[in-house]
Amino acid sequence: MQFRNILEELEVTKFKKGIEREMENFFEDMGFSIIEPRVFEDYDDFIRSNSRWDSSKTVKVLGGDSRIYILRPDITTNILSQIFSKWEGEPPLKVYYNSKVYRNESRGKILQNYQMGVESLGDDISKADGEIVEMAMSVMSNLGEPYILEMGSTKYLDGFFREINLNLQDEIEIRNLISKKNSDSLKTKLKSLKLENTILDKILDMQGDMKEVLDMARAYEMNEEMKGALDSLERVKELFIHKDIIGKVKLDLSMVPDLGYYDGIIFKGYCLGVPTKILSGGRYDKWTKKYGVKVAAIGFMIDMDLVTRIRIKGEK
Amino acid sequence: MDILTIAIAKGRLGKKGLELFKDTEYEIIMEEDSRKLVYNNANKKINFIFVKPCDVVTYVEKGVADLGIVGKDTILEDNKDIYEVLDLGFGKCRFVVAGFEDQNLVKKNEVLTIATNYPSYVESVFKDRGQLVEIIKLGGAVELAPLMGLSEVIVDIVETGNTLRDNGLVVLEELDTISARLIVNKASYRFKYSEIKKIEKVLGGV
Repeated sequence: MQFRNILEELEVTKFKKGIEREMENFFEDMGFSIIEPRVFEDYDDFIRSNSRWDSSKTVKVLGGDSRIYILRPDITTNILSQIFSKWEGEPPLKVYYNSKVYRNESRGKILQNYQMGVESLGDDISKADGEIVEMAMSVMSNLGEPYILEMGSTKYLDGFFREINLNLQDEIEIRNLISKKNSDSLKTKLKSLKLENTILDKILDMQGDMKEVLDMARAYEMNEEMKGALDSLERVKELFIHKDIIGKVKLDLSMVPDLGYYDGIIFKGYCLGVPTKILSGGRYDKWTKKYGVKVAAIGFMIDMDLVTRIRIKGEK
Repeated sequence: MDILTIAIAKGRLGKKGLELFKDTEYEIIMEEDSRKLVYNNANKKINFIFVKPCDVVTYVEKGVADLGIVGKDTILEDNKDIYEVLDLGFGKCRFVVAGFEDQNLVKKNEVLTIATNYPSYVESVFKDRGQLVEIIKLGGAVELAPLMGLSEVIVDIVETGNTLRDNGLVVLEELDTISARLIVNKASYRFKYSEIKKIEKVLGGV
C-alpha cells in the first residue's frame, strides 16, 4: 500500500499490527512458537532445491565473499532448512512466522509481500490435519466477509496415475488440463489415449459439497493411496460437521497444487469480492525427505496484505 | 442470484462470441454502431463488457469480470493465473515461425532476430532450445520486419497464410494452435460455481 499522508499511513500500520498481534496470539494459544526466517539465502542452494521456482523473480545480492545470495522469496522452505539442520524429527514442532518475502516484478520493481503462516512438523497425521485446517477456517472467518475453503487431496489423482501406465509427457498434459478446469480439451485428450471411461473423465465433476463428492469418489477408489486420500478428507469432514462449518467448505478433487511439494490434503481460502486466494497450504511429508528425515508436515501461508485490505474495508 | 460479468474482446472474435449467447437467457440487444462498453442483459443475469483483446485476461485475473472470451494467443502471451474452461472452437489459427525460404532457425554461436507481437510467448518457446535470440516487439504488420531487414524471422498468428505468401514469406515451423477460449477467475469459479457451469453448458464448446 502507498500513502500520501503520513497520518493515514500510521493509522493503517497500527491497524495492520493489531491484526498481526491478534493472529500471533491465536497461534500461540494453539501451541505454536514464533520462528524468524533468515533474510538471505544462498542462490545456488535455493535454485537446486526449488527447480520449479522462476529464478528471474528472485532478488539477488552479491556478498562480500563474491557469492550470490537472494532475499528470501519463500518462507516455508527457508525455515525448514533452518529447522532440519538442528532437529532430528522429534519431538513434534509447531512454529509460526510473521515476515516478508521479496520478488522481482515486471518493470524491475521489487515487491515485498507480508506473509504469516504456520507449520506443524512430526505430529500425528490425522490430529495435525484437523488442527491446521480448523485454524485456516478460523483465519478465514475472522475476515468478517463470506468465504469458502476449497479443499482436495493430491493423493487421489496421484493414486490413480500410479494404476495406469502413462508416459510422463501425457500425464503432465492431462494434469495441466485438469488444473485449468478445461473439460472439453481434457475429453479430447482422454479419447486419444483411450482413457475416456476412467475416473479422469469424471474428475472435474468431483467438486462441490463434501459429502456428495466423497460419495461419488468412493466409487472410483482403486488402491490404498486413493482410499487414504478419501479417508483423511472424511475425517476432516466429520470435524467440520461437528463444528458446524461444513457449509463453508467445497471439496475439489481436481485441485492441482501450484507448488510441487504437496502430498496429501491441500486447501485454499477465498473471500467474496477478492480475486485471488487469501491463504493456501497443505501436507508435504515427502518434501521433508530432502532434509534427511521424513516426517509428517503440514502448514499454510496467509497473504497479510490482502487480509489487511479486507479488514480495513470492513471497518469503513 | 449473483449477476455474472463477462469480458469480451472487441472485434471479430468478440462478435462471434456474442453470437453464442443469441436466443439464450443471456442474450443482449445491441444498438447498431453504438460505442457503449457495458451492456446489462434484460434478465439481469449477466453484464457484458467490451475491452481490448489483450485486456480481457487482465480483467478476469483481477476479478472485475468473472469470465472472459479471448484467443488462446493472448492467454499464452500473458500466462496469468486463471482457469481456461472451454475451447470455443472458433477463431482457429496457428502460431508459426515464418521467414524467407532459405532461413535456418538454428544458428550456431549467432543471434537469431525475431520480430513479434508476442514477446513473452516467443521467449518461452525459444528458452530451452539453446539458440540465442533477440526479440523485437512490434505493434502490428510484423511481416514487414524481414522484408525491411529488421529481423530474420517473425513469430505471428496465421489463419490462411495469405499475408505471408503475398509478402514472399513461408512458414518455417508450426507452433501452438489457437482458438477462442472461455476463461474464468479462480475466486469467481468457487463463489459462482453453478452459474458458471450453466454458462459452460450454454456455450457448449467444441
